[in-house]
Amino acid sequence: MKRRRFHRAGRSGNAAIAAVTVFALCAGTWLLRDGTGAHPPPQPSAAEAHTGDDRSAGGSPVPALPPSPPLRVRIPAIDVDAPLTGLGLTATGSLDVPPADVANLAGWYEAGTTPGERGTAIVAGHVDNAEGPAVFYSLGALRKGSTVEVDRRDGGVAVFTVDAVEVYDAEDFPDTRVYGAADRPELRVITCGGGWSRTTGYRGNVVVYAHLTGSR
Amino acid sequence: MRRTARLLTGATGLTGLTGAALAVATAGLLAAPPAYAAESRGPSAGSLEVYPSSVAPGSQVTANTDACGDDDTAAGDASAVGAGRFTLAPSTHERDAIGQFQVPPGAQPGRYEIVATCAGSGRRVAGDLLVTLTPEAQLVHPRGSVKTGVGGALGTDPVETAAGVTALAVAAAGGTWLLHRRARGDGI
Repeated sequence: MKRRRFHRAGRSGNAAIAAVTVFALCAGTWLLRDGTGAHPPPQPSAAEAHTGDDRSAGGSPVPALPPSPPLRVRIPAIDVDAPLTGLGLTATGSLDVPPADVANLAGWYEAGTTPGERGTAIVAGHVDNAEGPAVFYSLGALRKGSTVEVDRRDGGVAVFTVDAVEVYDAEDFPDTRVYGAADRPELRVITCGGGWSRTTGYRGNVVVYAHLTGSR
Repeated sequence: MRRTARLLTGATGLTGLTGAALAVATAGLLAAPPAYAAESRGPSAGSLEVYPSSVAPGSQVTANTDACGDDDTAAGDASAVGAGRFTLAPSTHERDAIGQFQVPPGAQPGRYEIVATCAGSGRRVAGDLLVTLTPEAQLVHPRGSVKTGVGGALGTDPVETAAGVTALAVAAAGGTWLLHRRARGDGI
């Protein structure tokens, strides 16, 4: 009797240990694979690039808003919700970047167009910093038709619809296409991308093209 | 020691057309930019970082500090430049409190001290803001690619790796113990 009870207890104990063992084996394998592997940020597929008839794609344009500086940018599809800081230019004329040590901070080119105003407004943020992924880590996973919202100081929200997501080499960056003037309210969201190597860092940039399709 | 111009103290109300008119007027008077216009960004640790540190009137400025510790807000004071008070809220980035304010459109060129006081510790930190008059008439477009990443997302994760090793050690111990019991014929 006593021995049988001991056996029963032993069996359920064994089952528990077996379960823990299997779980630890699976979890450990997954953690090791995930922890030691590289996690390059997602890159846009060719299907997200510009096509001939961008202008009609994804939501019809609305009239431009009056100028008002932006405060925050939100991209619900990739869980972005970050404050915006003003950006200037570097000595070489390239767009400056937000401080890299603040992971959840993006910037906008404050000597340019404000988002919602007629013209091309520019927003940029880091894909990662020394500690890991940053505000625009998932930007390359954005799809055509996704929404980008910008809170403005006048209390309004400018709503943009994504026309295209492209990736460019730094060597061959299409300045006019990315930064050039537009005759309707447009937005560019820029981060690093295009492959990474230890010697040269990221090869280029992911650029999201969007146009104003609403406000509230 | 620091020579901080408090040119606009008490001029918070100067906005809109009056401010713009003043800016135009001062632009004529002060055609030559200050000699220290090309100075670099402010210092970092334990102080108030003001970004961008050099702005045109009407610009938005972000101030952040890591001096206040975790989850502590700070009371910012940009009244030197006529922007009044603002709040620095804890950010998702560890230990950093971030706040924003707008330099009034009528702010005059000069160097202003922006201060913040930690709500919890009462510690006071300061940083400099340089206001310069830049011609807004023609739009200058940026050129070339943007340096927005260093590859920090591509490295290994030491915490995850350690957890994985620990979990595998547990699995090995459990497996060994079960085999041991089976060898003893303990009813497996």
